[in-house]
This record gives sequence, structure tokens and C-alpha cells, in this order.
Amino acid sequence: MTSITVHCLGAFRALGDSLVVDVDDVSVASIRAAVSSSLVARGRADLNTVLTRSVFAEGDELLKDHATVSGSEVSLLPPVAGG
Amino acid sequence: MDLFARNDGEHYVCGLIDGPCQIEGLDRWVQDPAHGAIAQFSGVVRNHNEGLSAAAVDYDVHPELALKALGELCQELCTNYPVKLVMIHSRGLVRVGEASVVIAASSAHRKDSLGAVSEAIDQLKIRVPIWKKEIGPDDEQRWLDGHSLRKD
Repeated sequence: MTSITVHCLGAFRALGDSLVVDVDDVSVASIRAAVSSSLVARGRADLNTVLTRSVFAEGDELLKDHATVSGSEVSLLPPVAGG
Repeated sequence: MDLFARNDGEHYVCGLIDGPCQIEGLDRWVQDPAHGAIAQFSGVVRNHNEGLSAAAVDYDVHPELALKALGELCQELCTNYPVKLVMIHSRGLVRVGEASVVIAASSAHRKDSLGAVSEAIDQLKIRVPIWKKEIGPDDEQRWLDGHSLRKD
């Protein structure tokens, strides 16, 4: 198992500045699934609808679900709403 | 303006500022003796949204990604329009009546600067990693929905 720190932004700030999930592999899809489970465990299953429309980033790169992360930290970006 | 993050290109400046954007003198950032038009846009926090009263908006930003997205957007706009361009967005609390985003463009003729500013704000809203938490008059808070960056 690998521990990944997920930095929370926007609506995910309700979970704190970050959360840690454990994954069997470091694909974004696995991290997404782990975050989804964590939301349910934290009583915030409602945020799974936001998670579905969110993207993960490592550094300044947006990641697709088939990608793998090289480090141990990612950011979770919900739909953007600047302006 | 005291920007905490800034990206300077050949024909543009973009950046992020803590708190409201101060727009005084923004036109000086894009002045050019060869340019006869300056267009400016200020996005100001309003006191209502979706039928609810609002007192302020708290902007959350991913600085690294936001600055990268702003820079890419400015680069595209300066390629598509012969303009000098500045785009600044707020982070943190911005109250009703205060500006959360300011954009200015100059060009030889008005059509290009007006077009660049209009496209800039449209694209900023759907591309730049910034999020709004609306704060009501009784301190009730809600995150506003937006545009997904997910491509798969």
C-alpha cells in the first residue's frame, strides 16, 4: 500500500486542507476510488457528485485517470468558478 | 498592486493578489504609444446570486496551476489579438462592490482590445483553478458550482 496526501481545494475544503488515502497502485483512478470511499466514511457522500466532475493534479500538471503519480502528493480540483 | 504571484510575458502580465483588486492605474500597465484603444473589465462581487443575498465571496486558488493557466490564456490571447494585456485575480475575501478580477488590453484599434478582454473573462471562468465560496449576510456559506477541468 502507498499513502497519498490529497490536497483539498474548493468544496473539498470541508474535509480539511488535505486527507491521506492508501492505494494499492498509484494510478489516478485508484486515488479517485480511495477518495470516494473516504468521503463515504466521513459522512460526505454528497461530495461524490463533485468528485466525479473533479480532476487531480500533481505539481502544475492536470492528470487523467489512467495516469500514475510519481510522488506522494496530489491536488484535488473541483469544477472551477473564477471571476 | 502587490501581486503574490506573477507571470510576465512579452506582451502580457498576469497575476494573483490577496484581497480585492485595486483597479486604479491599470491602464498604465498596457499603455503603448502605438495603441489607440484601451479596454478594461472589472468583475465586481454583487449582493445577490441565484436568488440569494450575498455579502462577500471568499476565493480559493491553486496558485501554481492558476498562474500557469492565466499565463497560457494570456499567451493565446496575445497570439490571437495584437494586444498588450494584463489580467489580475483575487484570492481570499472580496466584499460586495469590490473587484475580484481586473483585465485590461490595449491595441492599435478598439476591436482587438474589446475582443481580447471579452474572451479573457469568458475563458478565465472555465479554465483557471479558482473557486468561489459565497458568504451570505448572516455568514451562511456555500461553494458555487463551476466548470469541470476533467478531460476523461
